[in-house]
This record gives sequence, C-alpha cells and structure tokens, in this order.
Amino acid sequence: MAELNEIIHQPVRLRIMAALVALEPGNEVDFAYLRDLLEVTDGNLGAHLRKLEEAGYIAVNKTFVDRKPRTYVAATPTGRDVFQAHIEALESILKRK
Amino acid sequence: MNLSPDEAQSALEAIQLMTQKTRRSISNSGITLTLFITGVVWLVGYACTQFLTGPLVAYIWAGLSLLGSTLGVLIGSRMGRRVRSPSTSVYARRIGIFWLLLVLYAAAVIAVARPADGKQVTMLIILFIMIGHFAAGMLLSYSYTWWALPVTALALAGYYLLPAYFYLWMGVLGGGGMIALALYIRSRW
Repeated sequence: MAELNEIIHQPVRLRIMAALVALEPGNEVDFAYLRDLLEVTDGNLGAHLRKLEEAGYIAVNKTFVDRKPRTYVAATPTGRDVFQAHIEALESILKRK
Repeated sequence: MNLSPDEAQSALEAIQLMTQKTRRSISNSGITLTLFITGVVWLVGYACTQFLTGPLVAYIWAGLSLLGSTLGVLIGSRMGRRVRSPSTSVYARRIGIFWLLLVLYAAAVIAVARPADGKQVTMLIILFIMIGHFAAGMLLSYSYTWWALPVTALALAGYYLLPAYFYLWMGVLGGGGMIALALYIRSRW
C-alpha cells in the first residue's frame, strides 16, 4: 500500500513537486520561473528545494545561459515515483472516508 | 503520519491546481503570443492586400513577415529559457530544417502549378504554413496544433465562397479570429 511522504507533504514542497512532475520527464524548469509560478520568495523556494534535493527527489542544475548564471530544477525518477505514491496514499484516505 | 479525509482532499486539490497552472503556463504563454502575433500580421497584411495595389503590398508583407519571424524566434528562445529539454537543441535544429524545406517545397509547388492569380498563391502558402504548424505541433505539443484546423477551414471557406473579398476575409476573420482567440485564452486561463 502507498505511504504518505512527510517531506513532500509540506504545502510548498507539495506544490513544487506537482509543478515539476507536470513537466515531461527529463525537462527542467528555470528557478525564477518556478518562483513566480509558486508565488514564493527566492529564499523560501531555495530552502525547500534544498530539502527535496537532499532527499533525492529533485535535481538542481546550475549553469550559464548567455554568460548569466541560471539554476534549473527537475524531478528525479525517484521523486516522480515517491510523489505518485503520495498521491495514491492521499486517494486511499479519501476512499476510506 | 496521519491525515484526515479533509486534509487529504485539500492536498489533492492543491496538487491538481498546481499541475494545471504549470501546464497552462508553459503551453499557453507560447501559443497565445504566437496566435496574437500571427493574427496581427494577417490582419494588417491581408487588409493592405485587399485595399492597396502595386509593390507597396509586397513591401508591407516583407516587413510584417520579418517582424513576425523575429518575434517568433524571441518567444521561442524565451520559452526555451524557462523550460529546458535535453532534446530541445536536436528538435530546434530539425524543426528549423523542416520549415526551410517546407518553404522550398512551397516555392517549387507554386512554380510548377503556376497559380492563376494572387488568391491561389495566397491559398497555397496558407495551406503550406498550416501543414507546417500541424507537423511541428505533432512533434512538440498537441496544444500547438489544434488552432491550425479552424484557420484552414476559414481560409478554404473564404476562398470558395467569397473570392472577391478573400483578402479582407482572411484579415478580419483569420487574423482577427486569432487575436480574439489569443485574448480569450489569456483571460480564461
């Protein structure tokens, strides 16, 4: 049976994972774009991304585009699996209602 | 970790909202701008073709095409910076080659077919452009594809039913329709 994931369930991290899993597998999103999408601050997003990265659910790629530093973020295959299991766990709670 | 059904429900709703927001933001910011720019180019270009004559029309179309292409490239690069795919560079090169070949094929077909008038040339170009949008859309995203169908239908209807006002038809209904659709999508989503 699928289990709830405490790291992912935090509201901001839940929305981060939802946004990243909505992308095609392998695609990565710009940090600033993700920040605007989630309507959070740089610091807040950075802190939650670090937590998810430490858990191995996301990959953070720091690179240069047109000589400017840019950070891209993507869900890892593990992150996608764990997120899917979390959704299934939430749905099973509703079924037991 | 224990959750009540209400908490689970609100978490699922938050996930659904964020998923929708992300998908719409990525796919529609590109398509609405593309639709709007193409609509403006068509509205101005075809209105000028209907009411003006001589080389001025060709100059206007050349300017509009250049403007539309430049803005298209800018939108593409802006979208590419937001969301990157490992296959983006491969796709971008293939799509570029595809559009170049399509232009050459369109020119060859027009040269071979020797259309009787400007309307036939215009209709052939529109058909080739719409084929290109379909093909590129199939490769990239279906959301990029669907709008080419009603535009093609509108163009064919105008060509066969109102040949005297074909250019005006294309400008107002084709171009104006694209602008209206872009504004509708923008306001709705």
